[in-house]
Amino acid sequence: MATDNTDPTAEYRKNQSWLYDSKAGGYVRKTAIGLLTLVIGVFVLFPLYWMVVTAFKTTSEIQQIPPTVFPVNPSLEGFRLVIESSIQAGGYAGLVNDLFGITVTSAIDINLLGLIVNSLKVAVGAGLIAVVLGTGASYVLSRREFRGKNLLMSLLLASLMFPGTAIMVPEWELISTLGLFNTHLALILIYGAMTAPFVVWLMKGFFDDFPDSIIEASQVDQCTPFETFWYVLVPMARNSLIASFIFAFLLAWNELVFALTLLDNSKFTVPPGLLTFVQGFNTQWNVVAAASIIVSIPVLAGLAYIQRYFVQGLTGGAIKG
Amino acid sequence: MSYVDQAQSSYRSATRYIPESLRVYLPILPVMALVGLFILYPIAQAIYSSFFTKSLLAPSEAEFVGLANYVEIWTDPDIHQVLWNTFVWVTVGSLAAIVLGFLMGWLLDEKLPYTSVASAIVLIPWVLPRVVGASIWQFMFGGSQGIVNELLVQMGVIDEYIVMLGANEYSLWPPIIGMIWRLAPLFALLTLTSLQGIDEHLYEAARMDGATPWEQFRYITIPMMKYNLAIGFLLMLIYNVRNFSMVWVMTKGGPGVSSSTLPVMIYRAAFIDFEVGFASALSVLLFVVLLVFSYYYIKFYDKVRGEM
Repeated sequence: MATDNTDPTAEYRKNQSWLYDSKAGGYVRKTAIGLLTLVIGVFVLFPLYWMVVTAFKTTSEIQQIPPTVFPVNPSLEGFRLVIESSIQAGGYAGLVNDLFGITVTSAIDINLLGLIVNSLKVAVGAGLIAVVLGTGASYVLSRREFRGKNLLMSLLLASLMFPGTAIMVPEWELISTLGLFNTHLALILIYGAMTAPFVVWLMKGFFDDFPDSIIEASQVDQCTPFETFWYVLVPMARNSLIASFIFAFLLAWNELVFALTLLDNSKFTVPPGLLTFVQGFNTQWNVVAAASIIVSIPVLAGLAYIQRYFVQGLTGGAIKG
Repeated sequence: MSYVDQAQSSYRSATRYIPESLRVYLPILPVMALVGLFILYPIAQAIYSSFFTKSLLAPSEAEFVGLANYVEIWTDPDIHQVLWNTFVWVTVGSLAAIVLGFLMGWLLDEKLPYTSVASAIVLIPWVLPRVVGASIWQFMFGGSQGIVNELLVQMGVIDEYIVMLGANEYSLWPPIIGMIWRLAPLFALLTLTSLQGIDEHLYEAARMDGATPWEQFRYITIPMMKYNLAIGFLLMLIYNVRNFSMVWVMTKGGPGVSSSTLPVMIYRAAFIDFEVGFASALSVLLFVVLLVFSYYYIKFYDKVRGEM
């Protein structure tokens, strides 16, 4: 038989290619991959690097042409200006003077502390609404069969695509009609509505994978459905619940369109506040960069926690992370 | 009686007149009410408003004008420029983000060490507050101190600094580049997750059969992740077409309308020109586009779910 004489590895090797199976090809491949990584890495990381070094430059160094790639004299001036300006704009100048004997005056007009407090209020409120309402709904959607279930799920998924710019004008009309214009409650409700479908999908994924045997065991132990939900499911879902909350929190923390159109300057959250400062007269970029870093900290902390859930959350659980 | 029992008994007594078959809807009701009022109702409201001329300052003095607002979209030369810009955003921006994101995901999957740390760092552009990301790019492209100008001079592409954000012929592109920077990481993460989900045995079997790396990629990798890629693709389209912050922070849609996209034009029409009717007609246009994208998004979504 002919096949007995063939070297069994010959079949395996018949598709040899220079690029993959020779030493020189290997070097070419490694160099190409290295270059690609370098180019992409610079594109992704350089803006972040630029924000950080800009924050540590002095005001005079910012105005230098050409710009310096490394700060010549690293300084905390940007951060100092942000804090001073917050103290002044927030009306704490007198208090600081009394306590520390320091007179704070600032030529810069950004009340970052006030913006952060407003954003926290809105983001925590929206996160709680989304998690509390979304979890109850997701449990039923996961565990029960009923008429219109698929339609409801599709409606929730579709509603994730529309918020923001597409509905800013009618949303303005609605909020004015409800008498909620220039209130944080309006944003809490809208952000809650924007993120609750997200939470439903994320938590539904969790409940879908939840083993039936545990629920059956709790029923054998005479748990009522409420007790099963509260004492068994909620504690076990803790990580997913925290992730859901962080998702909702981050969306509210970052959202610009509704905050810009539904609030006045006095009630601004971080995104429109920062925008107004950036587009203001004679922008001082080290201050912008310092403020940017400060408001990005909660986001980066949140990212570390929810990274695992990220893909699931974004795709409504279609792609498991 | 514990508080859980109390909650249950008060729930029972509150719902005792509701038939058993309808009680299942009760936990879903609050979410649907919220979403219905703040997301679905405004869509209907926009369609209604688009048939009227009304000012943001005096919404009660609306005047029915039929399709006049839509005719204005059809005839307004500014809008043609805006629609063209939006088209460029959706096509060029999405494709670039996909290609770059796919390469990033592929490199993260097997070519680089510390995948989880690296992918967390790569994700930063996506999670950073939108205004922060856009401000960085504005600073890099803008003014006389922009690093991009210096970079191009150093590389010999241009001889002296040029105005980018304030020039009609260039202003469209810096926000698109900023958006690619923001979206590519998202697509990279989707790619990475999909790649990690492919069974290693498939490649082993293919290698046994003598498949070249390209054949493995073409006949295993791509087919295995095609629906995931489709979902990612539609997400890119959706994020690009409804993006507002990147353009508004960097150029405000100007100079003129040279860098405006549909969402920026809606904002201008409503909150600067106070023309609610016209802005609503533009919003309806944006809904139609989003509706088409969402339809396919849900369709592919169901495909992925079906295969699990």
